[in-house]
Amino acid sequence: MIWVTWRQHRPQATTALGVFVVIAVYTLILGVWMRSTFDSDSIGACLARSGGADCGGAIASFMHSVQGGPAVLVNLVLLVVPGILGATVGAPLLGQELERGTWQLAWSQTVPRTRWLVAKLGLVIAALIVFGAAVTAVVAWSWSPLDQVSVRTQPPQFVAEGVAFTCSVLCAFGLALLAGLLLRNTIGAMVAGYFAWEVFLGVSLLLTGPLQPFTITKTIPCAGAACTAASTNSVPPVTGNLGDLVNSVTRAGGHLVVNYVPASAFWPLQFVVGGIFLAVGLAAAGAAVWLLHRKTT
Amino acid sequence: MTHEVGRVPALRADRLGKRYGNVWGLRDCSFEVPPGSIVGLVGPNGAGKTTLLALTVGLLAPTEGQVALFGERSRAQSAATLARVSYLAQDHPLYRGFTVADMFRFGRSLNPNWDAALAEARVAALDIPLKRKVKSLSGGQQAQVALTMALAKRAPLLLLDEPVASLDPLARLDFMRDVVAASAESGLTVLIASHVIAELERLCDWLLVLNGGRLQLAGAVDDLLAGHAVLTVPRDAGNGSLPGRVIERTDSDRHSTVLVSAPAGAVAAAIAAGPPDWAAEPAGFEPVVLAYLRRPRVATVAAGATGTAAA
Repeated sequence: MIWVTWRQHRPQATTALGVFVVIAVYTLILGVWMRSTFDSDSIGACLARSGGADCGGAIASFMHSVQGGPAVLVNLVLLVVPGILGATVGAPLLGQELERGTWQLAWSQTVPRTRWLVAKLGLVIAALIVFGAAVTAVVAWSWSPLDQVSVRTQPPQFVAEGVAFTCSVLCAFGLALLAGLLLRNTIGAMVAGYFAWEVFLGVSLLLTGPLQPFTITKTIPCAGAACTAASTNSVPPVTGNLGDLVNSVTRAGGHLVVNYVPASAFWPLQFVVGGIFLAVGLAAAGAAVWLLHRKTT
Repeated sequence: MTHEVGRVPALRADRLGKRYGNVWGLRDCSFEVPPGSIVGLVGPNGAGKTTLLALTVGLLAPTEGQVALFGERSRAQSAATLARVSYLAQDHPLYRGFTVADMFRFGRSLNPNWDAALAEARVAALDIPLKRKVKSLSGGQQAQVALTMALAKRAPLLLLDEPVASLDPLARLDFMRDVVAASAESGLTVLIASHVIAELERLCDWLLVLNGGRLQLAGAVDDLLAGHAVLTVPRDAGNGSLPGRVIERTDSDRHSTVLVSAPAGAVAAAIAAGPPDWAAEPAGFEPVVLAYLRRPRVATVAAGATGTAAA
């Protein structure tokens, strides 16, 4: 089964490798450039000296050169890659066999169809996890200067770092696999799988945005200029931590009432979003296995 | 039950039925086929031929009854069943992007009894290069590669669903000759579903006729032909006065041509005892099959076909 799976998915594996190389080369170049900008703005030294309190100007300058530029392109790519890759790999696994009639060949060899499918799924899912982990690792290295001074609990970093990216690929894969079984058509299953995945991508974006489950409201004492100048755009944020995402600041006497997402919400939110992606993907793949097993009746 | 090995039927169906929703695709189908025979499976589109084949391989599970292969019940999702039967589906599906060598490696990966030497010798004899992609082969070559895969699986029962439908006349002859040779060489039992009745007449020693999901005719070709006769009688001779059972009757101005299902002895006795203007001649393969296909409600299952079913 290992050779059969490899041979049948060889074109997709080659494409995925190509996509990875392009992303990797681009993000590595971006990472080197980001490091040199980071150093030329002397942010590292400033952070070490003051913990970020005096580095507002330097950070703003760094963020300006990074965000307006090529990072945006990578973000857009990383937003669609999981869906396209997962749907491209998942749709033909059953869809093409059913569309071209080769299921009659595949399932009349000496390996029963359920075992055939489970073996294929195991190998393909393992390959997708390796792909996702590799992309995540490259991006995390590339963006580590950015991560020190910016918010990671929202896109772009959130969707490309941690476990969300890999789980997102698996979600699209499972949905397209099931669509292939139901539609008996590769292209149709790719489209259906991709757009079904978009729904859950939308859910994940809501969770990193308006429906953020880890939002905190805190009251901070302040005095003088610190009170009047405080805003959601302050660098560093009024909460003092560069990774915090401040939603709103209201003044109440000698206090600031701050509504924000702490930087520490990154991993809990990764597990919530990744868990949703993974649960949907595995449920769809499980449904495909079950339906295929029952298909003889 | 002390059957000799040779007497265990290669294929046996026992009140086999398959329902799709409210429609029976196949119903109440019982027959036996001895090992080593070449069986023709005939029927119009939608008669249940492919359903019968899929039930035999275990691609479908029966709604009622069962199929047994060499005495072992055929089960869906069972490696043991799959090992006993090779299935060449209609339009001989292959992976178009694979080379012939890839297809064989696919076969080797998924079949413990894979005969790589046989596979390679066959395509070499057919001048099909191992490095060619399937999609660049002609229809006849693709059918031969698919047949080669089915043979190299080394299963004792080979099922062919409309194997020559897409082939030109020369490729048909080559293909069928190879099937017969393979059967003769290794004692393979072959079941061929086909519309081409003339083709089956040359090849088959056993016949199954399906119509509307029902088995109409089953038995050894020789027995079936010996058990039918074409009578020419005056038009006013009633069916009740004729020997055996009337399968089909064609009336002309003065005479009627009647196909009857009756033992040869009964026909001879009736001719000898009957009026002088009665005549009988042996029934031909194709007229018998066509008569049953035109009369969906009539069934004749030869004694040999179900002989042990009652035991």
